[in-house]
Amino acid sequence: MTEHQSDDRLLEHDYDGIREYDNPMPRWWLYIFWATIAYSILYYFNVPGIGIGKGRIAAYDADVAEAAALATKNNPFATVNDGVILAAAKDPAKLALGKTTFSTTCSACHRADGGGVIGPNLADDYWIHGGKPLEILKTVTEGVTAKGMPPWGRMLTPDQILSVVAYVTTLQGTNPPNPKAPQGVRADSTSPTPAAARGPAK
Amino acid sequence: MTVQGESFSYDDAIVRKFMVATFIWGLVGMLVGLLIALELANPAVNLGLPWLSFGRLRPLHTNAVIFAFAGNAFFTGAYYSSQRLLKTRMFSDALSRFHFWGWQIIIVCAALTLPLGYTQAKEYAELEWPIDIMIAVVWVVFAINFFGTIAKRRERHLYVAIWFYIASIVTVAILHIFNNLSIPVGPLKSYSIYAGAQDAFMQWWYGHNAVAFFLTTPFLGLMYYFLPKAADRPVFSYRLSILHFWTVVFLYIWAGPHHLHYTALPEWASTLGMLFSVMLWMPSWGGMINGLLTLRGAWKKVVEDPVLKFFVVAVTAYGMATFEGPMLSVKSVNALAHYTDWIIAHVHTGALGWNGLLTFGMMYWLMPRLFQTKLHSQKMAEVHFWFATFGIILYATAIYSAGLTQGLMWRAFDETGRLQFPDFVETVVKLLPMYWARAAGGTLYLVGMVLFGYNMLMTWRKRPAKYEVPVQTAPALISPYPPPPATAPAPGGVLTRFSRAAYHRTWERLPLTFTVLVVVAVVVASLFEIIPTFLIKSNIPTIASVKPYTPLELAGRDLYIREGCFNCHSQMIRPLRHETERYGEYSKPGESVYDHPFLWGSRRIGPDLAREGGKYPDLWHVRHMDDPRSITPKSIMPSYAWLAKNPLDFGGIQKRVDVMAMLGVPYGDAVNRAEAMAHNQAQALAKSIESQGGPKGLGDREIIAMVAYLQRLGVDIKKAAPGTVARATAGVP
Repeated sequence: MTEHQSDDRLLEHDYDGIREYDNPMPRWWLYIFWATIAYSILYYFNVPGIGIGKGRIAAYDADVAEAAALATKNNPFATVNDGVILAAAKDPAKLALGKTTFSTTCSACHRADGGGVIGPNLADDYWIHGGKPLEILKTVTEGVTAKGMPPWGRMLTPDQILSVVAYVTTLQGTNPPNPKAPQGVRADSTSPTPAAARGPAK
Repeated sequence: MTVQGESFSYDDAIVRKFMVATFIWGLVGMLVGLLIALELANPAVNLGLPWLSFGRLRPLHTNAVIFAFAGNAFFTGAYYSSQRLLKTRMFSDALSRFHFWGWQIIIVCAALTLPLGYTQAKEYAELEWPIDIMIAVVWVVFAINFFGTIAKRRERHLYVAIWFYIASIVTVAILHIFNNLSIPVGPLKSYSIYAGAQDAFMQWWYGHNAVAFFLTTPFLGLMYYFLPKAADRPVFSYRLSILHFWTVVFLYIWAGPHHLHYTALPEWASTLGMLFSVMLWMPSWGGMINGLLTLRGAWKKVVEDPVLKFFVVAVTAYGMATFEGPMLSVKSVNALAHYTDWIIAHVHTGALGWNGLLTFGMMYWLMPRLFQTKLHSQKMAEVHFWFATFGIILYATAIYSAGLTQGLMWRAFDETGRLQFPDFVETVVKLLPMYWARAAGGTLYLVGMVLFGYNMLMTWRKRPAKYEVPVQTAPALISPYPPPPATAPAPGGVLTRFSRAAYHRTWERLPLTFTVLVVVAVVVASLFEIIPTFLIKSNIPTIASVKPYTPLELAGRDLYIREGCFNCHSQMIRPLRHETERYGEYSKPGESVYDHPFLWGSRRIGPDLAREGGKYPDLWHVRHMDDPRSITPKSIMPSYAWLAKNPLDFGGIQKRVDVMAMLGVPYGDAVNRAEAMAHNQAQALAKSIESQGGPKGLGDREIIAMVAYLQRLGVDIKKAAPGTVARATAGVP
């Protein structure tokens, strides 16, 4: 840098009074410029199909595989059974969380009181995809996309899901006003047909 | 030396006109910016009016700031400096006036059509085809006037500022024409001739180079004239000027695809975009170095002179933005920053800092000279400087925090491998305080702008009764050119010798050669990317199950474009696990082959919609569009209640389908009965909405087309036979 300072030599150029020095480019500027060029040439050999790189899709697939292994190990509902959910339905903290989750996530389609609008009435005894706690859990986590029920398994936390399912089990018999007409089969039906009807409608 | 002198005068009246226009449009553009900033913080600010909604005003803000404010600022400085650097009056006063009034009419047209929803949906190229033609005509007139001025110059060699003006003028013309090629559907509606990945490529080739050749090179030219003038110091290095000019021009043009990392654009192309951006770092900094080092020995002046203060911060902001640009183009950084407010922060460092402050500095320097009186208040200019600087700092701090917060929340996984914030609205609510702070920063900047206008008005009022027009004298150029005495070869390395080589001095006195070389640099670089993008089939593997939109869905897509939904919602899921986890399978190039124009988006103020189809019931969408907060209480999406009231224009659908068919979309039977098909689908959908308990009689309203379109998004690929969709695109160009 000091070398440049002393090098200030004016060129004969004069444009409307503007003069120019004949200074060289700063060394560091040139070196970094050369370095970025070298980096770029080397990097291009990382492009899949041109060089040795595997590319973004391979990296993504590896990520997904790793996550799948982690998810199997950490299935949050592995030990959940009907009893766990019914117990949660008696826990005020869980119920409160369930109610909040219901009002922000579910009420747009099932109405704030569960009486049903776009989605079915959750307060009656009729179920399309099964009314047992574990069946409701499955409907909530996996959804029924053909009928417009989104899968919430990854959109809500495990705690929220467990709580909201527990909350839904408490809606039974609350008799909300102007409910949607019953859909599906009665939960206490003992006839052999409901089993088939109750299976997930895929 | 005293060759016969010719007498002439400079046209400063046109410079005054452009200067006032710069202020007026700058104020408008920034006011709209503040308004939409407030709309993000509180959606009720749009008063429920369609033409005040964010999606329609955001393009007005960007267009006003880029083309109206920065554009007029460039013309102000270029008309003032070119005449003096070339020692001649402009080629034609009539063309100057045509340029001025033509440009202002274009801006007025933009300000009327964008809020009414007329848009091509391509960023910074939103204006519809008739306005595009006007732009092309006015630009050509400007070019004729400018090159005509060069032709009748009395200065043999072209100064570096003129090089930058030349590069800007020719490149903007090329970019504008090729990105806007489209087929009209109506007087203010057209479809891009390109589709999907190719349209995306063309758009960002244009979009990034609009930043380059509309906001960077013109302003570097201005800097090279006004900064040494104001500082009264020689330019630091002529050789650096040469090298950084050519490298900027040659490298910039490749960089566009870095806007499309991890999208359905082939990986070889976005990688090229990244690497040329990395190589562009030092060439860009060449301008900053030449600017700041020109101030050596003049720093005492900076303390006293607001003009130089504006210049110093402007050039520093340029340096920061051109370091950040290459950094953001690196894939891993881009994976975090893309779709977030980080990009908004980046462009505002450039626009508010570099373009804004350079403009203000230049104009405070020009005001006494153009109004031929003392600046009304030096003190007020000083206060403006501090308002602007603190405004930028507040704006940038807030919105960088917002960008990082958002990017990190989107990608956060908990220890079990699940998204930590699966509910998108959580990541929005978190940003609201930063949105308010950003609006406060913008307000400070705007206050400075008002002071600027007041200062200009008061200075103008003190102008003389009649402007003096000093007579200049300079000898005409002698033809043929008398060769200069031979000089000894310069010492130094290859690059040094190359940059000092006498042939560059020769080019500087041959404007035609110089311009042709610029065109070659720009066109060759572009073709290296464009040709493979369009010619290699394996880049965009087709998917048999992907079919054209139905006529009704196409009408809905045009409503999506009209409302500017793409300003907040992307339709491009990247192959990153946090995205596929949140939105579903990543987007394939074959999915958007019928998308004229592409609607991948560049920002996620709301969630991605590439797989929206079938995610929620039809009635959900009807209610959500009517009142988003009835579904998602904390949503900041505006209400689109008018969609359920406006009748759908069934009559116009046939023409839309026909133009699409003309562009090669296989519409088959629909070219004869699009309207009937649309009616049938609309009736069926309206019935389904009614049966879900929704409102009756929506079958002939706009909302029905919108819902039909949204329910179609991303569903075709699910019907593909297993194993028929290519996982990756071929890497080989």
